[in-house]
Amino acid sequence: MIVMGWSTILRGTKNGLVITWELARVIIPVFFCVTILKYSPVLPWISDHLVPIMQMVGLPGEAALPLVLGYFLNIYAAIGALLPLGMSVREITIMSVMLLLAHGLPIEAAVAKQTGVPVFGLILVRITLSFLSGIFFNLIL
Amino acid sequence: MLEIMREAVLGSLSNVIQIAMIVIPLMIFIEIIKDMNWLRFLTAAMAPFTRWMKLPNEAGLPLVAGLVFGISYGAGIIIQAAREGTLAYRDIYMINLFLVICHSVFEDTILFAAIGAVWLPVLVFRLLLAVAVCLVVAHFWPSYPERLFREGQKAVESVLE
Repeated sequence: MIVMGWSTILRGTKNGLVITWELARVIIPVFFCVTILKYSPVLPWISDHLVPIMQMVGLPGEAALPLVLGYFLNIYAAIGALLPLGMSVREITIMSVMLLLAHGLPIEAAVAKQTGVPVFGLILVRITLSFLSGIFFNLIL
Repeated sequence: MLEIMREAVLGSLSNVIQIAMIVIPLMIFIEIIKDMNWLRFLTAAMAPFTRWMKLPNEAGLPLVAGLVFGISYGAGIIIQAAREGTLAYRDIYMINLFLVICHSVFEDTILFAAIGAVWLPVLVFRLLLAVAVCLVVAHFWPSYPERLFREGQKAVESVLE
């Protein structure tokens, strides 16, 4: 039962490299797009409109971009989009709580669906908890 | 424009390298957990919480697998357990509810730690939140998963076919 050797380490390294590749493939292009958006009038314009919502969780308006990318795609895309925004430790931490509770919603719902449960309620629970937790961490941090 | 490109290239590459330096050792560690079968110990440590959430002992393994390896791995074990008939539909729903709130605790936590987030309070908060939500549903709203029972039973059967 206990079999650990080079094959374990090799497999781990391979998995690590696969994840690094997956994440580089998403983070690098998203990082590029957001860096360019940041210096264009587009992001400030979107950001201004979302200030009232993002204020509740203590984040700047442009943080809505990584949040939405994280909800619909995955954590990698969210990280790629939030890095160029140059957020503070406090803001990144609030972002991390919100994203960890709800991310990759379509994909993960599909996975949960495979176990035979209805997933609409689960998605709703995640988005609600994501926002409530953002508000909570904004208060305590 | 050149300055912006420079910022994008350097910024994205340095961050990817920083994450890779942490993710590769982590994946080795996860393979070690798998091969040494440490899930047994974690499942045992989880047992009081599993009981608290009014789940059978058999629910421990999919919960821990999802927490350590991620939601797809957890789902794989749930499907296997459903095939063997060791988990009722209600249990399966509760495991899903727990795991959508909190899963891949190592990988996801480390990704955010690598980019500078404060990780420990966030990790503890997620675990507590998942337990709390399941406790509330188990003790005060047991009819919630039951209400979905008939529809779910059909779905489980279709998965098994």
